[in-house]
Amino acid sequence: MDLTTGSGPELDETGLDSLQLGEDIRHLIAAPSENASSFTALLELPANQAVELLHSDSGRKQYPNLTFPSNTALLERAAIFSVFHSSNSADSSSVPSNSSSKNLEKGSAVKCEQLETESYLDSCQPLVSDPTVDNSAPNARPSSKRKEREKKVKAASKKSKSESSQQEEEKLPYVHVRARRGQATDSHSLAERARREKINQRMKLLQELVPGCNKISGTALVLDEIINHVQSLQRHVEFLSMRLAAVSPGMDFNVDSLLAAESGSLIDSNFPNMAMPLMWPEAQVNGNRHQFQQHWQFDSLQQPVWGREEDSHNFITPENSHLSYDSSANSASLHSNQLKMEGRMKLHQ
Amino acid sequence: MASKHTIATRHAQGIRARFASRFLRSLLRLRRRSNRFGGSQSNDEGIGKRIRTDRIKIAAYASMARAVGPRRTWSRALLFKLRNRARIHGVSRKRCLVSEKKRVTRNKVVVAISREPSRADTLRKLVPGGDSMDTCVLLEETAHYIKCLATQVTVMQSIADRLLL
Repeated sequence: MDLTTGSGPELDETGLDSLQLGEDIRHLIAAPSENASSFTALLELPANQAVELLHSDSGRKQYPNLTFPSNTALLERAAIFSVFHSSNSADSSSVPSNSSSKNLEKGSAVKCEQLETESYLDSCQPLVSDPTVDNSAPNARPSSKRKEREKKVKAASKKSKSESSQQEEEKLPYVHVRARRGQATDSHSLAERARREKINQRMKLLQELVPGCNKISGTALVLDEIINHVQSLQRHVEFLSMRLAAVSPGMDFNVDSLLAAESGSLIDSNFPNMAMPLMWPEAQVNGNRHQFQQHWQFDSLQQPVWGREEDSHNFITPENSHLSYDSSANSASLHSNQLKMEGRMKLHQ
Repeated sequence: MASKHTIATRHAQGIRARFASRFLRSLLRLRRRSNRFGGSQSNDEGIGKRIRTDRIKIAAYASMARAVGPRRTWSRALLFKLRNRARIHGVSRKRCLVSEKKRVTRNKVVVAISREPSRADTLRKLVPGGDSMDTCVLLEETAHYIKCLATQVTVMQSIADRLLL
């Protein structure tokens, strides 16, 4: 494959038959290491000038034509991976914020294509800055709509509280509060009923999180269970920190192996319920460690070739090696290599 | 370098990886610090196991709060508390004691009516920053806090296992 053999920053002009992704990645590798600020300055220039500035050797007239399809592929992958991981780590209570961030990332990914960015990382920078901008806009619009609706339903005193809490439930459909048959139509009681329903919703989410709460009926006992669970988790943290304190003076641990083990357990423990921490993920960790050993050994071979490079390059290269590997857990191992890379970077420093 | 790291790991890897990397880095830092101040002897007895435990625990909570980011109320409250504690711990002990005594007497006078702490109140004490939240927000924050505590436990457990092996 072109990706793994082209290890040096050579810009050989293979035909357009090669993977467009691969060419794009090689261009990124070829780019001289620059600061983020200078790169974003380049973004303001039209594509041709930016290309010429970056690639000091022979003019690549084909390149601007290639920019769009390859970038869309990259950015779609980015959106897919980020979506993948945000959906993994989301529980139902944080679904609103996660789904909104998903949409924002997809929307700004489209925006980035139009910006004609050339590097993947610097398209991530607008990705980061745009959500902060976009967040305010969708927030403003639904809240203004809700303000109008709430004036009809709720008492004036309750309005500010429900507005601020409604902004968190952005993605949930707006609940029309209407008095049911046989219930008081007082604005106060309506507001209280809405508040109670919100609290009950959150209690249901908590019941799912805390193991063993599904069978218990009644808010008070469930709350007791939750309190016990939090206390037990905190005690567990203290116990583990005691254990770590006892261990650490003797040994000189290898950061690489630790990070590798972490990312090995990342893959399997991401899916199952996080609320059962104690026994189950450990067994899986040991099983999966062997599976991923070979991947990391290959990467450890590749590492000396790159030497000391910036994070931006290291960010791209694991994508290279794993695209060629065609592993099933592609995205997770991608990030595991990122972790590994960063661990190595710290060690080198 | 640090900013690129945060951008790269912003949402793609999930909170678990972020916490793991931060915690490992802070562990390394703790070890380097203790190694610098007197070699291997102080690790056993000079510093004391309890202080070391507390430092590791504080490092774990701090790295978890930073991995979550300032988006959540409890993480902000936790970072604020840790920062204040670090400041007080560094400046002087005397002043701290005096202010604590004053606070205690004031509380005793004011609280004439003692009600039994309801469950929501105990939850508020457990979750950092829980005092300034109403019940609805408290439940949501508790859910996120439980999730993050669980990841913290799994990561620390696997690190401890890995170190011992």
